Amino acid sequence: MIELQDIHKSFGTNHVIRGFSAQIGKGEIVTIIGPSGSGKSTVLRCINGLEKHDSGTILVEGVPVDRTKRSIVDIRTKVSMVFQRFNLFPHRTALENVIEGPIFVKRENVDAARKRGRDLLARVGLQDKETAYPGQLSGGQQQRVAIARALAMQPSAILFDEPTSALDPELVGEVLGVMKSLAGEGMTMVIVTHEIAFAREVANRALFIDQGVIVEEGPAREMLAQPKQARTQDFLRRVLHPM
Amino acid sequence: MQKFINDAIEFLPILLQGVKLTVLVTIGSLVLSTLLGLVWALMRVSGIKILDVSARVVVNFIRGIPIIVQLFYIYFVMPDFGVTLSALQASIIGLGIAYSAYQAENFRAGIEAIEPGQIEAAQSIGMGWWMVMRRVVLPQAVRIVLPPYGNVMIMMLKDSSQASTITVAELALQGKLIASSTFKNTSVFTLVAILYLCMSLPLMYLVSRLERRAAQGRK
Repeated sequence: MIELQDIHKSFGTNHVIRGFSAQIGKGEIVTIIGPSGSGKSTVLRCINGLEKHDSGTILVEGVPVDRTKRSIVDIRTKVSMVFQRFNLFPHRTALENVIEGPIFVKRENVDAARKRGRDLLARVGLQDKETAYPGQLSGGQQQRVAIARALAMQPSAILFDEPTSALDPELVGEVLGVMKSLAGEGMTMVIVTHEIAFAREVANRALFIDQGVIVEEGPAREMLAQPKQARTQDFLRRVLHPM
Repeated sequence: MQKFINDAIEFLPILLQGVKLTVLVTIGSLVLSTLLGLVWALMRVSGIKILDVSARVVVNFIRGIPIIVQLFYIYFVMPDFGVTLSALQASIIGLGIAYSAYQAENFRAGIEAIEPGQIEAAQSIGMGWWMVMRRVVLPQAVRIVLPPYGNVMIMMLKDSSQASTITVAELALQGKLIASSTFKNTSVFTLVAILYLCMSLPLMYLVSRLERRAAQGRK
């Protein structure tokens, strides 16, 4: 469903991604972990063309990602994204945030979109927050609205860019809970996260990247419990036991 | 005082004719400067080099020439190129173009104040450049831009008196005409000043309310 072949990306003289290749199949849940600045988020942002990769090929359902082409709109409606800082539209209510894409990008019928939007808010546990503005919601609630907004596009896959990193610790659980239920329904997900326990439980496959290359990859459960590479071991030790 | 009231009763109807033109020039040039300013601002943030540079050149060109010279140029020089405008048309177009430069800078600042994450979120649900502007950036920029926009409105109201230099008989020119034919300078110009205040003070009140609302931040 998503294929990356030998991706390179630099910001100025900073070579962030140095030959990244991966294949993500339909229904697969892949987690990308690694130290900050290792290029995890950049990989994710290249997949839906928010960032332009310098070389290599990215295919989404066989279509090359090229942000200068009209096909990018199609790719972005197929691959939704959930951001670290939620990025809800502050001038629109929770429901309006969710139905913005269906109505204005996919030109769906307004009443049908509203109904589906309400269902999606209920699915993330926010049926009573339909008319609330993002500023009136907690971080966890905002992120759940953002997940509903991503789902509203009826995507084939969702990219999660550190979805719980900006949350107060007590609000992390409610967002992970929603993600877990999505995983249970067979949604294809690519998750950049520091929540190792969550990744181990939910993901099928884990990629550890450092300095722009994949250092180790394997089944999430085993790799995150018993990493083979020294760098992976070192990283996991520091994340799991910061003291 | 009795004399002033008698003068007021005598001159007000003529001065109100001038007020009518002042309002017309102000609103006309406000609308034009807003539309043009928006065009320059969108060109500046389009990310397309040629549009950005041409908008920059146009804005600096406009800013570098005094309004009065721009008015003279449109009213007295354009006829040589076969474009003849009435004084009223020329004043609206002249002031509209002159002020579009200031509007553009204001609008651009408002647009650039929007978080990049907002634009990315909009793109990530498949919005193109124009829809991102229309649905996400501009509605949020309005809140930021409104207070300075109100100030520009007040400045334009007062600067509409420059239309008098190309024979538009707006409030200032009407006053000058009455004063020079009756020699009642004190009464006439006091009335003119009061009439300007009657228009600008409510606008200032509106601006301060907008500023307070903007300071309260997002809902």
